Amino acid sequence: MSAPPIGRVVATELKPSTPHQFYFWTATESAVGIGAIVRVDHPGRTVYGVVTDGMAYADLASPLHAVIGAEGDPAAAAHEPTSRTEVRLFLAAVLRQIPEEPLQPVPLGAVHLASDADVELALRMDAYTRSERPTGIPVGVYALGGHESPVLLDADFLLGPEAAHLNITGVSGLATKTSAVEFLLSSIFQTFPSHRGSIAAVCFNVKGPDLCFLDQPGEISERDHALYDKLGLAAEPLTSARYFAPFKADGVNLNTLRTHEALQHNTEPLVWGLREVLDYAEVVMNRDDIDAKADAFIDFLAERVVGREFTDELLRGKPFRVESFADLEEFFRAIFDFMEAMGRGGEVWRTHHIATIRKVRNRLGNISTRAKGLVIDDGAPNDLPWGRFDDRTVYVVDVAGVDPLAQDLVFARCVSKLREHLERRDLGVDHVVVFVDELNKYAPADGPDTYVRKMLLDLAERGRYLGLVLFSAQQFRSQVQRRIVGNAGTSVFGRMDMDELATPAYATLSPAIKIKLATLPKGELMLRHPHFTQPIFARFPRPAMLSGREGVERFPPGAELPFADAVARQLKQLDRRVATDAVRALVEGRQELDVRRALALTRRTRPDDVLAFFTAKLGRRVGGEVVTARSTIRPVPSGVDPYQ
Amino acid sequence: MKLAHIADSHLGIRQYHRQTPTGINQREADVANAFRGVIDDVIAQRADVVVIAGDLFHSVRPTNAAIVFAFRQFQRLREALPKAPVIVVAGNHDTPRSSETGSILKLFEELGLSVAADVARRFEFPELDLSVLAVPHQALVDPEELQIRPDGPARHQVLVIHAEVQGLLPADRPSLEYGGVVVTPDQVGSGAWSYIAWGHYHVRHQVGPKGWYPGSLEYTSNNIWAERAEEEANGIPGKGWLMVDVASGMVTPHLVKHARQVVDLPPIYADGLDASQLDAAIADRVASVPGGLAQQIVRLVVHDVPRPVAREVDHARIRAWKASALHFHLDMRRPVRLRLTGSGAPGRRQTLPEVVHDWLEHRVLPSEIDRERFVARGVELIEQVDSDGDGP
Repeated sequence: MSAPPIGRVVATELKPSTPHQFYFWTATESAVGIGAIVRVDHPGRTVYGVVTDGMAYADLASPLHAVIGAEGDPAAAAHEPTSRTEVRLFLAAVLRQIPEEPLQPVPLGAVHLASDADVELALRMDAYTRSERPTGIPVGVYALGGHESPVLLDADFLLGPEAAHLNITGVSGLATKTSAVEFLLSSIFQTFPSHRGSIAAVCFNVKGPDLCFLDQPGEISERDHALYDKLGLAAEPLTSARYFAPFKADGVNLNTLRTHEALQHNTEPLVWGLREVLDYAEVVMNRDDIDAKADAFIDFLAERVVGREFTDELLRGKPFRVESFADLEEFFRAIFDFMEAMGRGGEVWRTHHIATIRKVRNRLGNISTRAKGLVIDDGAPNDLPWGRFDDRTVYVVDVAGVDPLAQDLVFARCVSKLREHLERRDLGVDHVVVFVDELNKYAPADGPDTYVRKMLLDLAERGRYLGLVLFSAQQFRSQVQRRIVGNAGTSVFGRMDMDELATPAYATLSPAIKIKLATLPKGELMLRHPHFTQPIFARFPRPAMLSGREGVERFPPGAELPFADAVARQLKQLDRRVATDAVRALVEGRQELDVRRALALTRRTRPDDVLAFFTAKLGRRVGGEVVTARSTIRPVPSGVDPYQ
Repeated sequence: MKLAHIADSHLGIRQYHRQTPTGINQREADVANAFRGVIDDVIAQRADVVVIAGDLFHSVRPTNAAIVFAFRQFQRLREALPKAPVIVVAGNHDTPRSSETGSILKLFEELGLSVAADVARRFEFPELDLSVLAVPHQALVDPEELQIRPDGPARHQVLVIHAEVQGLLPADRPSLEYGGVVVTPDQVGSGAWSYIAWGHYHVRHQVGPKGWYPGSLEYTSNNIWAERAEEEANGIPGKGWLMVDVASGMVTPHLVKHARQVVDLPPIYADGLDASQLDAAIADRVASVPGGLAQQIVRLVVHDVPRPVAREVDHARIRAWKASALHFHLDMRRPVRLRLTGSGAPGRRQTLPEVVHDWLEHRVLPSEIDRERFVARGVELIEQVDSDGDGP
């Protein structure tokens, strides 16, 4: 037996029902609220709607009647012999009508609260959850009056190829942007259908410890456990995770908050050499620098000079072999010496003007200084495993502690490499989710047109064809490049600032929905998805992993280790048998530059016997022999010189 | 602290087949004399430490005379400067190719010299607050990498090494000694040393702010003419050694007094000269050798000398000059012929008389012969032979 109705559709000349919205009244005590999904039953037609506004009024003609009736005394109003009749009227936007055609105004039927099945039909989830090859990805539950129904997104529209990308907006701290992404990634990894291929995620951690502990289980409440059960998900962290962070300026301690001893096994350095940087040199150019001349010279360096033998008899007789920044500086020095020696007329070398050459040299030199730790000078890079990405694995690139210029470089190179490999279909997985927080900073609506912004735009507009999906987050959606958020098939809104809600971007939302958005509790969000004709409110469980703050408390970052110990830790990651004491003894008295070079070579080679290889690369040390006082020598007898 | 930096003495080298009155190769004696002069100089300058940066001997198995000589010179040095350490490294010339051969340099350990013959050694002299890392040629050839860095508490850290520095010297420089190991400035940690005493390159050359090649003590490389030309181009008056004030980094060159000069005379371009004219030009050049040709080492390059002219120059006089000099190299070079017409080229083929006419027009003739008549007669003769051949 079906539940009794909670209201009835009402239509007047002034408030008629239309195909897209209808009014209904309820009893004063009802569970209906803003965001509630309701079902209208009428013979031959069922209509689903979501409540977008509400109003209440009595039979008074005007507020003056109420004042006069109580003789101006608010206390007396409570002693009236009869209660005035109060009308509760709600406005609902139509989610779906069955049958879809002919599309007609909503009939005057009974209104019921939606059940699980109703929610599935209302949100058109049946199209992708009941097919032979379902593609639903749980995103949270629709909750009303103690009743909770799972809400699923369509993988084809979240991760491509039909639509793609997801954007999250919300104020900092309360909007649970990071938590939502963490939960969604967990959900995607558990439920992304295998018939749609494999998937991995690359997350850029740009502030504090936010994404530093995705692989560590966190404590969640019974209620959250129940939500996981309802969604059919396991409450577990992203166990398959790899972390990459640049070094600090010392070249051996990692520049991340994930430096606890227990977390070292999957935390690796991210270090690049000249070749890696040069391919993305335009990133380090500011707007004034971007011209065809600088581009041409950089291309010349990349194609003719770096990584190969370059001969120019005018510069010097011996060929150049540029493999590192130091080599490049030597090359530039030779050009400048040559041009200075030429004096007048020495402004151009191989059609490149000296000012262009100096500009490129300064910018490239700048990156090796400002990104010290990311950029190394010995040509032994350690990079993400391009071509060997694993299914259901998250790769976190921690750039929270590095210079903004270096952050831009990391973004640009990682995303470009992902795109290159996905175009060639040789990344190792079919889809990659790229999570970028702080879009307000990296892709602002106004401001300079940086390389990173262009790259994010390209990713938003072309990525879905490649399987490259952008999950982005920001505080103020209205202040992000419109085409980037506009290309996001799925939008998520957490608690929002009223000023932000007052911008034209939110004009389509009713005042009631805006109020609800401005007061959303943690863990609730509003969803827009191509299958949902109206925004839907949903609640998601706390992600079953440590938040950044909890992680730092449970795994406090290790103190910055002395040089030798930091080297030992790096070697231990390659081979657990390496003893710290042995490394200390080896490193003692050596120059740090030599040790770093040997360490980089060891890391790149990954030999079977790590310590032996490292020792060999350090070079045999020549021990000192104290030469004591020498004995006296007999005088040379005369007449013994064979040449005299 | 005064450090005497010597390299590439090449004792025992033999060249030019001339002997001293006692039957010793003259150049071998010259080199020995240069070395003896340097030891005298070092003793006179009262050096606090002496380093020899490789190629003390020219070969792995030097002559007995060279061994005895070196032994006595070091004995003399040790006797005169008993407190001065003497450090010797082996260069590519005095490193044996197989380990069982052993190095003659170890002999000098008996005199109290500190020798690095096959492996790198770090000698510490606490009384001088000095540490010397001695890196011989063999230590750089070994597959096991070597850490070439200052070490220990000593204030003065000196590197003695026999190698070629990558990038500093052009590969095509003809005077460069081949066979040396190439090292990068990074590999030796250039900036970290108080001084780097390099050996192997035969022309004095600064390497970085605190490193020098002193050059060899005599002209002993494979191309002494290029060696001399490079010295002249750089304003270096001759061979020598360096006295280094290690604390201040000041380097003072000391020249060797050579027994004879090495003179590369200005070349002659003989295009258009007949034999007698060329004889005269050569004589002029020979006369211009400072101090005369006798006992000197001289080269004269003559370009564009056709074979008939070369045959007809005054060879008796040239032999006399060669006998007078220790070594007189008259390098007569044929003209570089540039073919203006190619065989098989399109167009009419020349007749035999035409070919002969062209050839005789260019053939070098004694000046007293009238070329016009000579050519006319030659063509006439060949036409006669030609027509004779046509008859039935």
